[in-house]
Amino acid sequence: MIAHAGHLPGLSREAVRWREVAHGAWGERVVLALPELDAAQAAALCEQVRENARGRLKQMPVARIVDAVDAAVARLLDRDHPLRRKAEHLLPIVTGYDRESVRLGLTGYLRTFRRPQLLRFLAEDFANPAMLDGFQPAAKGGLLRAQGPNLLLHIWAGNVPALSLWSLICGLLVKAGSIGKLASAEPLTAGWFAGLLAGIDPEIGECLAVVWWKGGNAAAEAPFLQAADTVMAYGGNETLAALRAKLPVTTRFLPHGHRIGFGVVAREALDSRKAPALARLAAHDVARYEQQGCYSPQMLFVERGGRVAPAEFAGYLARELAALAHRHPRRALSPGEAAAVAGWRGAQELRGLEGAAELFGEPADPWSVVHVEAAEALSPTGLNRTLKLVAVDDLAAVPALVGPYRAFLQTAGVAAAPERLLRLAERLAAVGVSRIAPLGRMTAPEPGWHHDGRFSLLDLVTLTEIEPGAEAAAEGFASYAD
Amino acid sequence: MTQAEIIEALLAFIARPDASEAEFEAMALQVFAYQFRNNEPYRRFALQRGRTPLAVRRWRDIPAVPITAFKGLTLSCCPPEAASHVFMTSGTTQGVRGRSYHPTLAVWQRSMLDNFRARFMRGRARIRMGILFPDDRELPNSSLAHYLSLARRACGTPDSQGFIGADGLDLDGLLAALAQAEAGGEPYALLGASYSFVPVLDALAAQGRRFALPEGSLILDTGGFKGQSRELAPDAFYDALSAAFGVPRASCINMYGMTELSSQFYDDGNAVCPSVKSGPHWVRSRVVDPLTGADLRDGERGVLVHHDLAHFNCVSAILTEDAGEIVPGGFLLLGRVDGEASKGCSVAVAEFLAAARS
Repeated sequence: MIAHAGHLPGLSREAVRWREVAHGAWGERVVLALPELDAAQAAALCEQVRENARGRLKQMPVARIVDAVDAAVARLLDRDHPLRRKAEHLLPIVTGYDRESVRLGLTGYLRTFRRPQLLRFLAEDFANPAMLDGFQPAAKGGLLRAQGPNLLLHIWAGNVPALSLWSLICGLLVKAGSIGKLASAEPLTAGWFAGLLAGIDPEIGECLAVVWWKGGNAAAEAPFLQAADTVMAYGGNETLAALRAKLPVTTRFLPHGHRIGFGVVAREALDSRKAPALARLAAHDVARYEQQGCYSPQMLFVERGGRVAPAEFAGYLARELAALAHRHPRRALSPGEAAAVAGWRGAQELRGLEGAAELFGEPADPWSVVHVEAAEALSPTGLNRTLKLVAVDDLAAVPALVGPYRAFLQTAGVAAAPERLLRLAERLAAVGVSRIAPLGRMTAPEPGWHHDGRFSLLDLVTLTEIEPGAEAAAEGFASYAD
Repeated sequence: MTQAEIIEALLAFIARPDASEAEFEAMALQVFAYQFRNNEPYRRFALQRGRTPLAVRRWRDIPAVPITAFKGLTLSCCPPEAASHVFMTSGTTQGVRGRSYHPTLAVWQRSMLDNFRARFMRGRARIRMGILFPDDRELPNSSLAHYLSLARRACGTPDSQGFIGADGLDLDGLLAALAQAEAGGEPYALLGASYSFVPVLDALAAQGRRFALPEGSLILDTGGFKGQSRELAPDAFYDALSAAFGVPRASCINMYGMTELSSQFYDDGNAVCPSVKSGPHWVRSRVVDPLTGADLRDGERGVLVHHDLAHFNCVSAILTEDAGEIVPGGFLLLGRVDGEASKGCSVAVAEFLAAARS
């Protein structure tokens, strides 16, 4: 079968050139057709989306957009809906993640985009979300109005299913004409979602497009990069730097680079009853999306002095990862990924020869845990269920071990008593950690979270204010003025 | 076996190109037993893998050490201070260079010369050489400098010259030698690091100059570009060499070697890339799944493992970071297996290290 990707309002399937890409996993194959627009089509599409957004989306109350998104998400949550069934069938083949992980991940993620959660997004960033619909009184006096970009370009990356919906929905909530560039590793969900929206509210469907070009293809990306007034991009620093260099200086650039997550376990969480359960939660965070998420933990700092020692906790983790591997098999690794795992494991094994590290799991196991007793700074593992556990005397040592990598920090999963959680959080915040989650929820940020510590909606808008003086001066020109 | 005995046995084995597979296996097991007994970190590695001389019956089961181990561990059967030569890698990981300890260069030199004569000299006793690399006095810890200096001493004519010294490339000297060779009609051999050829190619292109070296002339390059020059794809590189020096691609030979071995691999010219590489009879190569270490089927792409009996003082079986594929007559070398960037938005090792460096 061939599945067509993207959402191209105003363009017929016949008018577009399609590049076919085969994907295979779990014994099945699928061919995806990705749209390759020519320069004229790309420029026309940008113009059309911008114009439609100006004429339609920007005239709508934000409540109508919320309703449409809510209705589309409801369909994707309905396991009997044909599109949801298609997603459950195709996403494992395309991304390689196992069916159950995809199903559970989709449901957990999509439920953060229902109506109440969307309203929470809005309330999180705007004291009065009605300023997206018209001027509203400002606290300091005068009136405020928020406008989203006329044309917002999303450049998505990575194979985490449906990740694209996050920024796409944020853009729509601020009424941005939106064009999304699909990630080659997960080029499906954004197009499906756009198609659903177009079915539910055709006027909204005219205000967004989902496209694709081969990453780095200068000729293909140029029309989009020139037309957008705001670009939100995901990827490694090298990709982001190259992209930024191509944008006009007046374009607002909102990059989301790669991140490394880590966990912290306090001694009070390490008794014989709590520790096994915690290990299960931490293993879940490691296995979900195979550590490909920016929030995924790669290292765990475990405090000494609890009833369960760090070495013992490493054993629990190994057991839980082994158990998870049965329920959620690891996706097949590319040669490069296998080499990364083997290289990391080999290095740990050699340290083990000097007695500096203890390695759990056989080379052929689909997971590895290494435990070291000497404190060491944060560093990436081989990914794909490879975890390093570092014993520390005190949680207070952790901020200094992660601090040098501020640019890569985002999520910390913390298991500690309230007072210590707050004390640690204070110092983690100071070194650049932007999200503290409980273990087991590291890969599932809550609705309205501040991605990379930023305002998801507020960063997109421009405010127009009517100063109190202007308001007062206008009084002087009123017909009723004395 | 003592060190003297193992050296004697290896020199005898190298002298026997007709040695059978069973004889290779027997020699390999002896070398493994020697290394297991005398190389402490390697013994611990082998024990961890459950591969002791008692348990291992086939050369393929001798545990291969990841090449990075040469950076972190002292892999030597003799006390390191007893080594007459220490060869170090040019590449580093966070400032640490891989090291190979040699108590004597007798086996290393015998291995190099027998193989070099068979694969490069092809029956010639000597040839006039131009060397594009510093010599072994300049770089005493470089195995490549030793290799090229030995080639020149043992197989070069007296008028052979080196063109890279303390002051860098002597381009005028090189061009003069090439012109002289072109006029003289005697075959000429140009040998050096792959990246050393690039500035020469660029200079010739800038001057619009080409040479037509006499028939029978040869080129030997090795090691790739390593960020020392711009990168050229293999076909572009050999086309450029062939055009600049008038040496057909079939006479452009690539040597594949490493500090962590005592023997080299050659192809039979680069008329077609990737070329088939192979080693001498005291070396075997495998292609394995990097995760399990299990052999892959011929034609499947994996990571190269080399068993070089001549590397007796360190470890003979090494797991490289080179991608390869077993083909009839040898193997294809398919570049480095760099750890891949994350498929998602988590940061992977390469990007992390790059940021730490900058």
